[in-house]
Amino acid sequence: MKQRASLLGGVAAIVATFVVFVIPFLFIILMAFKDRQQSALRDFSWPTGFHLWDNVFEVVKTRNWMMITAFINSSIITVASVSLLVVFAAMVGFILARRKTRWNPLIEFLILAGLMVPPAVVPTIWVLQGLKLFGTLHGMILIEVAYNLPFSIILYRAFIATIPKDMDEAAIIDGARPLDVFFRIILPMLWPVTVTNIVVQSVGIFNDFTNPLYYLPGNANATVQLTLFNFQSQFSTAYNLLFTNILLITIPPLIVFLFFNRQIVAGMTAGAVKG
Amino acid sequence: MAVSSMGNVAGAPSQRAQAQKRSPYPGWFYLPAAIIYAVLFLAPTFASLYFSLTRWTLFDSVFIGFDNFAQFFREPFLVKGLVNTLIYAVVTSGLKVVIGMALAIMLTSQIVARGYLRSVIFFPVLVSTVGVGITFTVLMHPTQGMINETLALFGIAGPGWLVDPRLALFSVALVDVWKGVGLATVIYIAGVVAIPKDYYEAARIDGATKWQNFRYVTLPLMRPATATVITLSFIGGLRTFDLIWAMTKGGPGFASDTIASVIYKQYQAGFYGLSTAGNVVLFVLIAVLVVPLTMLLNRKQGHE
Amino acid sequence: MAGLELKALRKSYGDLEVIKGVDLHIEHGEFVVFVGPSGCGKSTLLRMIAGLEEISAGELVIGDRVVNEVEPRDRGIAMVFQSYALYPHMTVYDNVGFGLMLAKTPREVRDKKIREAARILQMEHLLNRKPSQLSGGQRQRVAIGRAIVRQPEVFLFDEPLSNLDAALRVDMRMELARLHQDLGATMIYVTHDQVEAMTLADKIVVLDGGVVQQVGSPIELYQRPANLFVAGFIGSPKMNLLPAIVDAVEGDVVRVSSKDLAATAIRASGEGLKPGDSVTLGVRPHALTPTESGSVVGQVALVERLGNETNVSITLPSGTSFMAVLDGDRALRPSGSIVLGFNPADALLFDGAGLAR
Ligand SMILES: Nc1ncnc2c1ncn2[C@@H]1O[C@H](COP(=O)(O)OP(=O)(O)O)[C@@H](O)[C@H]1O
Ligand SMILES: [Mg+2]
Repeated sequence: MKQRASLLGGVAAIVATFVVFVIPFLFIILMAFKDRQQSALRDFSWPTGFHLWDNVFEVVKTRNWMMITAFINSSIITVASVSLLVVFAAMVGFILARRKTRWNPLIEFLILAGLMVPPAVVPTIWVLQGLKLFGTLHGMILIEVAYNLPFSIILYRAFIATIPKDMDEAAIIDGARPLDVFFRIILPMLWPVTVTNIVVQSVGIFNDFTNPLYYLPGNANATVQLTLFNFQSQFSTAYNLLFTNILLITIPPLIVFLFFNRQIVAGMTAGAVKG
Repeated sequence: MAVSSMGNVAGAPSQRAQAQKRSPYPGWFYLPAAIIYAVLFLAPTFASLYFSLTRWTLFDSVFIGFDNFAQFFREPFLVKGLVNTLIYAVVTSGLKVVIGMALAIMLTSQIVARGYLRSVIFFPVLVSTVGVGITFTVLMHPTQGMINETLALFGIAGPGWLVDPRLALFSVALVDVWKGVGLATVIYIAGVVAIPKDYYEAARIDGATKWQNFRYVTLPLMRPATATVITLSFIGGLRTFDLIWAMTKGGPGFASDTIASVIYKQYQAGFYGLSTAGNVVLFVLIAVLVVPLTMLLNRKQGHE
Repeated sequence: MAGLELKALRKSYGDLEVIKGVDLHIEHGEFVVFVGPSGCGKSTLLRMIAGLEEISAGELVIGDRVVNEVEPRDRGIAMVFQSYALYPHMTVYDNVGFGLMLAKTPREVRDKKIREAARILQMEHLLNRKPSQLSGGQRQRVAIGRAIVRQPEVFLFDEPLSNLDAALRVDMRMELARLHQDLGATMIYVTHDQVEAMTLADKIVVLDGGVVQQVGSPIELYQRPANLFVAGFIGSPKMNLLPAIVDAVEGDVVRVSSKDLAATAIRASGEGLKPGDSVTLGVRPHALTPTESGSVVGQVALVERLGNETNVSITLPSGTSFMAVLDGDRALRPSGSIVLGFNPADALLFDGAGLAR
């Protein structure tokens, strides 16, 4: 009896989540398979023909292959900023966890502030212009690093605090200098958090729309999220292309999700359980 | 003595090694992060306090005192943005708490297809916000959108989700919840899983019902998870820009403008001082609301 | 050749002084054990020698150099940690060779040294494993291997055996003793376990509250503890300590008595003692024998029969409890009365300040 009820509940849950969460994605996929005419109906119908490759090709080559540029730009920004985040945040987390000084409370305060305070947009543009970094990939990379440091630091600090200090000291006795201790002992031991960090930050930075919108204007600098926007205005009636585009930029997060589901969830829930 | 013939690596008596001892945890490890953070985050934040008091073209600025702020609280569409921001943050974080908790309890029970359910609920968290926004804009179209077409099959005349000024903000908030509830759910799941079994066993021995179990064991022990969910989604809600921009651009009219979209609009219009004042308002709003909120949420319970 | 000289070493954490002026001379090749209760500063002192803790005041000499400001890697020391502190992401081979690699030792030399260390510790078959695949005893060996491969002048051990189970602890203790013989290096060993201290040490340093209480060979410490603390700390079961009053002082003989003790003459320095002074009489449980004419009379409280000997806990008239270890098996009845005696030459006398006489 009880089992029947739970099975019934399960089926109800599956149906409900299917309607709420899966159908929108199926809608995206179906739209990406349709031709322009059918897609204009914007309904949940079966594609009358297989137009996916045509649509993909069309989307990719539009505006002088802007999609390719955008994917390259987004990849560069994501890889570079995540690499810097890993090293710089781990370095801060390491010293913060190991060296207790009267500055620590201030540093922790600044980190928390970074998690909460929204960036001041125009003054940031002003600073970037002063540094000749406005509208450059370099500038965008450094912005992503600055904005995402607090989260990465917190992730690392919590983990480093669980590594016994004996480990550093054994290395010091073995003749390791600070850089050796960090790069040869601590950083390798941080690998599980680093994977989490990489995955969570990559998804966030790849999906970032607002910051490139402000700090990386210009078609040559487009990132994938911005192409979506340009496409939307341009193809206000070409829904097949719009949704093909959405489908394309959903693939990287999907791959990450398939392979690193566990790490993502671990990273995003870190600290939720009284940490 | 087998090893001693192999020479000495431990560097015992030798004259050169008299350098000053250094800390094994050198402060300069902070530097790379500190410089980037200070230059690109802290400096602009402090600069915003000044520039919000100016009329500003990026090349020169004229000090005008609190005029920008006065304007912010005088112009109806800016005030609307302020009110909308609060409504949006409260609605989204409230719904995420309630739905996230319910889903987490469901997903930690003996339900079938748990893995599938978890994945399906969580996946939207990872998807591009703009992509989600555009998709739902199409789905929520008042006449040609799938949602209203489906409702029509049941004889219900669906509302103008994004075109009705009274509804637009809430429609966007709903989509925000759709995309973000997966994160709330996994945070709650982590919270539920961390509750030691002993509590339930003790409660069972005391003869607790299912409801009492939830009310007196699960709920109080999920307080840290609730604190995290509320803080995260409340801050996120106050700062929201991309979803609003993708779905309504603040419209119709100013019906769904939030502070963040106002900041962007003023920036686009070249009112840099006013845009920066918007930033400061948002900053103050977060400081004034979130700090007490987290203190309240993280307060130790009496019996602990 | 490296002996050590500790000159008035002090260590403070803020206002809290934990090492309060330690003077100590350690010969080359000596096996020195720091022993004392938990929190007395043993680890701190060892870590000051290693260079892991700043020296607040005083001078530390290793070999012929003052090393206060010398980096740990240049002090000619190696250290084995209580937690072993093996690098989890490296194989045993790389763990042992890590220091050599940092010192830029050529690969072939490094390989030879690592294999030599592995041979000495009989762990050649473990070289390709990761620390997580090793048992506690094997990890201990790797930690020691990591130390010996660097051929230090001085080995430092911080409670290296306390994470092992009892049987393994005895084996590793013997192994360490053998290693000390083979390598001939100076070893400084921290423990709170007095059995380890007694069995391993050439010289024991008893610490309490950051102060050296006594330095000496194990037997010296057992037979001639310098003060009440050492008397109570060394030896198991603990020495019985009885408050008493001086009755008379006659040169090298002091006569004492108390409510619990018939008048007894002890051979001890009477200098500065006068009749009526409070003193403490120390008698080891093993020094007691049952005899009709004994000076201690009490009531049996508890009997532990171990077969070869019998531990008897006795309650004296004043309520003080008193411990005796008697030869052989004795079927004593609890709450029966018992009379014990001891040879006055085996008793120790401590004055009001707690110092041995
Ligand atoms: N980093 C520190 N800061 C403050 N006090 C410390 C620190 N390290 C050790 N102490 C104190 O110094 C005393 C000696 O510690 P330790 O040398 O570890 O004792 P043990 O003899 O048990 O090895 C203890 O009271 C401990 O609390
Ligand atoms: Mg210790």
